[in-house]
Amino acid sequence: MKTSVEIAAGIRAKSTENTTSVATIPIGGYGRTKVRYDKKAESEFFVDNSALAGFTGERILYMAVRELIENALDSCEINHILPRISLSLKLLDETNGMWLISCEDNGIGIPSDKIPVAVCSFLTSGKYVEKQQRGLFGVGLKMIAAFSTKDTDHPLRIWSKSREEGSEYYFELRTDIGTNKPIIITKKMQRGEDLYFNGESGFKIEAVLRARLSPITKNKIYDYVSHTSIVNPYAVLVFQTDEGEVSFDRRTTVMPEPAKEVLPHPADMDLKTLKKAIVNFMHQKTTLHGVLCNSFQKLSGGKAKEIISKANVAIKTADKYDEHELIKVVNVCKQTRFHAPNTDHLSPIGEQILTAGMTSEYTIVANKSENDKQIQSRLSIKVLKPTLTEYSSRTCVVNNRPTVVECGIAYGGDISSFKLFRFANKIPLLYDEGSDVARETVSEVEINKMGISKKEVKEQFTGAGNRSDRAVEFLPIHIFFHICSTKIPYKTAGKESIASEGELKRYMKACLAELYRKVSAQIRKELRMKEAESRLRLYKHYIPLIISAISESIKVDPQKLSEAFSQLAENHVLGVAVSEKNDKITGQRIEQEAEKSILLNKKKARHISNSIRSKEIGAGHSNRNVAKKNIEKLDFRKRDQTTLDVFNRRGRKK
Amino acid sequence: MTAKDKRHKEVIKKIKLLMSDVAEDLMVERIMPVLDVPKVGYDNTVWSEEKRMLTIGTKTVQISPDSTKKIPTFSQYLVMANAIRRLLDEEMESTIRGMYYATLTSVGDDERNRQKFWNSQENSDDAIKAIELLTSVPREEFSVTSKPKGMISGPITLRVGGDIIDCNLGSRATSQLIPTNIRDVEIVDVKADFVMVVEKDTVLNNIRKSGFIQKYNAILMTGSGEPDRATRMMAKTLNKEWRKPIVIFADADPWGLGIALRYKIGSESLSYDSDRLVCTNAQVLGMTFSDIYDYNIPKVARLDASEEDINRANDMKKKPWLKDKQWQKELNIFIQRKEKCELDAFFKHGFRFLAETYLPQKLRAVGLI
Repeated sequence: MKTSVEIAAGIRAKSTENTTSVATIPIGGYGRTKVRYDKKAESEFFVDNSALAGFTGERILYMAVRELIENALDSCEINHILPRISLSLKLLDETNGMWLISCEDNGIGIPSDKIPVAVCSFLTSGKYVEKQQRGLFGVGLKMIAAFSTKDTDHPLRIWSKSREEGSEYYFELRTDIGTNKPIIITKKMQRGEDLYFNGESGFKIEAVLRARLSPITKNKIYDYVSHTSIVNPYAVLVFQTDEGEVSFDRRTTVMPEPAKEVLPHPADMDLKTLKKAIVNFMHQKTTLHGVLCNSFQKLSGGKAKEIISKANVAIKTADKYDEHELIKVVNVCKQTRFHAPNTDHLSPIGEQILTAGMTSEYTIVANKSENDKQIQSRLSIKVLKPTLTEYSSRTCVVNNRPTVVECGIAYGGDISSFKLFRFANKIPLLYDEGSDVARETVSEVEINKMGISKKEVKEQFTGAGNRSDRAVEFLPIHIFFHICSTKIPYKTAGKESIASEGELKRYMKACLAELYRKVSAQIRKELRMKEAESRLRLYKHYIPLIISAISESIKVDPQKLSEAFSQLAENHVLGVAVSEKNDKITGQRIEQEAEKSILLNKKKARHISNSIRSKEIGAGHSNRNVAKKNIEKLDFRKRDQTTLDVFNRRGRKK
Repeated sequence: MTAKDKRHKEVIKKIKLLMSDVAEDLMVERIMPVLDVPKVGYDNTVWSEEKRMLTIGTKTVQISPDSTKKIPTFSQYLVMANAIRRLLDEEMESTIRGMYYATLTSVGDDERNRQKFWNSQENSDDAIKAIELLTSVPREEFSVTSKPKGMISGPITLRVGGDIIDCNLGSRATSQLIPTNIRDVEIVDVKADFVMVVEKDTVLNNIRKSGFIQKYNAILMTGSGEPDRATRMMAKTLNKEWRKPIVIFADADPWGLGIALRYKIGSESLSYDSDRLVCTNAQVLGMTFSDIYDYNIPKVARLDASEEDINRANDMKKKPWLKDKQWQKELNIFIQRKEKCELDAFFKHGFRFLAETYLPQKLRAVGLI
């Protein structure tokens, strides 16, 4: 990390020294107009085009929270430190919309000499390497610094204790937006009582931002923090706002394996990567063969030889090749089959950790209370414990980059409705859900994979004002998707939704279908229970009507009749529930139904035999006239005389 | 209070039998009771060549509280049966709408689960029908009736309850509604030579006003569109018991022909009661499709047939009861020319044309006058 910061910072320093050049060109024949060609500093560019980094009006605070949490987590995970992060977002000046945001972590800190550039200079990062990290661009933190400088007169305040130095520094910084350079207002080494950190290392940043915070954005911030805690259950997160303080406990001490830096995969080679690899070996007089073997993964000596001979280029020192020759090598690489790229540089969440996050899902709840005619809301934490969770993952190659798809499902228990959670490289994605590949995946995988029908689900899980067409959204289920890759196919620069590229969706669907199968037994069981319940309820409602109809008509003890009917209904409902529970083999059910119908026929047969007997005895009436009724039923067109001569009975007598 | 009427007592006995059967299943046999109700509808309607009428088939529907879907139906039937028993016990009569209100209730305890016992009156009408089928007793015996709809005029004397009604109303200005409480109606005397049934009351009024009844000694009847049971039963009784020929005139379109056929062959929805309602030797005399052209109904008075009409006519062509050459020819005319016509269209030829020219010509052709 140290080296890349230096390199990057060095390059930037050079480029920002550039001056503006002025040129005049003639336009048409209508006179001369001067066109100025300016070199813009990175900082100025990003401030002018803040939307590129997601910093748009409404979302400034959301993005700030997001960037700070991401940096803090990265800084801890790189050295396998169990994170302890406290974030605070408080209104400083209501009339002018000034917010004080601060974030503190126990990560590795930043060495004092790198702090100013790391905080203020755009495109300066320790993360420009081929491995999965949350931040990649070296823009987020700088954006906060630039906005703070642009909109307020407050400096950024930073406390940092890096592992390398062991001593603590305090900085007050602002950004020179015109030149992309930090302005150091204060820099001092902390001693004695001034010391802020107790631990081995740590980093704290405090900034003032001018922003509006709409209720929607506020909820998104809360969601962001909650979702972060789900995929980082090993982190302690303390979040302070004007509405109160909430704390997310550490639920596991297992941390994901940190990602390792890896060499690029040859299938992903282009002229730029190849030239960069050659430059790295500039002083060693290495052959192209050597460069290829040492700069790319999955490229053996034999394979390199094969590539060079196929490319039909002369054998000389690597730096002697011109671009025409190199492009031939690239073209050959594009057509050659290599082993699948390794995934050491990826850091998936893993089953253990995601399960820990899912089994006690923390969410922030704003409790509204009315106080002196003012509605105040207090934050509190609600822990959702589902009845079951399942996890599945797939490793695949999307856009030549290895990609890990992880999917989790939490079902039932405290979870009361459907929700889709999306993560990319452990970052929660909250906006643009509609256009995300995860949303597509969910709507394309049918829930009949769970062995239940849409109709059943809609009947049993209605309510809660759900008017969705998709059956899965009726289920009390939370679906989590995590995609990690060094190159996530984001749809927009705001990094909020993932495009359905290559075979990504196919793998996601496979994951989801697998999970559906895993949770199906439980859901089916619950569905049966719900069905049984609603059926029993139906009996409870209708039995009294039937009982009163019968007991008004004939002499019968309504109490006993009701008991008998209720008992029968209960047995019937539970009996059905039991028989359907183990009806994996349809044959069984058919048998049961056959038995049932035999029983029914037996009953009928008994009635008829009863009737015959009663006829013989000549005591049909005492036998409740069952016989008579049955015979009538069999041929009811043989009606009695009463019907036909309604009109003319008396008339005909005449 | 107990019923005094012997036939009422018999119906009550049948309902009680039904109830005790259910109670026995529940308490003694410990099984879910099943009501075997003959199925009513097109798929259980059979054409009887021998009887020349639509009759009910052998299919039945099992209504049992063992399935969630059928619990409501099952309880509806029992509640309706009990309501009918009460009605008879109290010696009252009610319309089918009255029965709907008498049994109206709501089911379920809390707001969310509450549902109506009946979704509409249609459900309760179905329940009444089911009790008819289960007890093999027609609705009229339950003292359950519908709103009177059919009309009758002519030399016929009825006694309704204790009141004598002479339908040969001298003023020619009104007709008698055919009472639906048929149990209380009796035909005292019939002096007419034949009975003419027309589709609509407007046509009936026109014919009556013309003095047709007096001139040809006929009884005029109408069911005002689809005939109700009372109207059909009246026609049947006049035909069967009083040996009066029945002739039917309806509009020249498939629907009109359908209505005419209700009297002659019966209907799907009442196929179980055809014996009581159908007069198979009634003659459907008009208005035939060829009449449109034979009587020069002007183009403006003809109506264009809809696609549905044509489909229906095509269906009818296949029916066994319309197999004779005459009807096949008529239907072919309709399908080819795609024109239909109402009886009222004769008014285009003058208000007296229908009663004084068309009908006599038609009746003369079959030798009735």
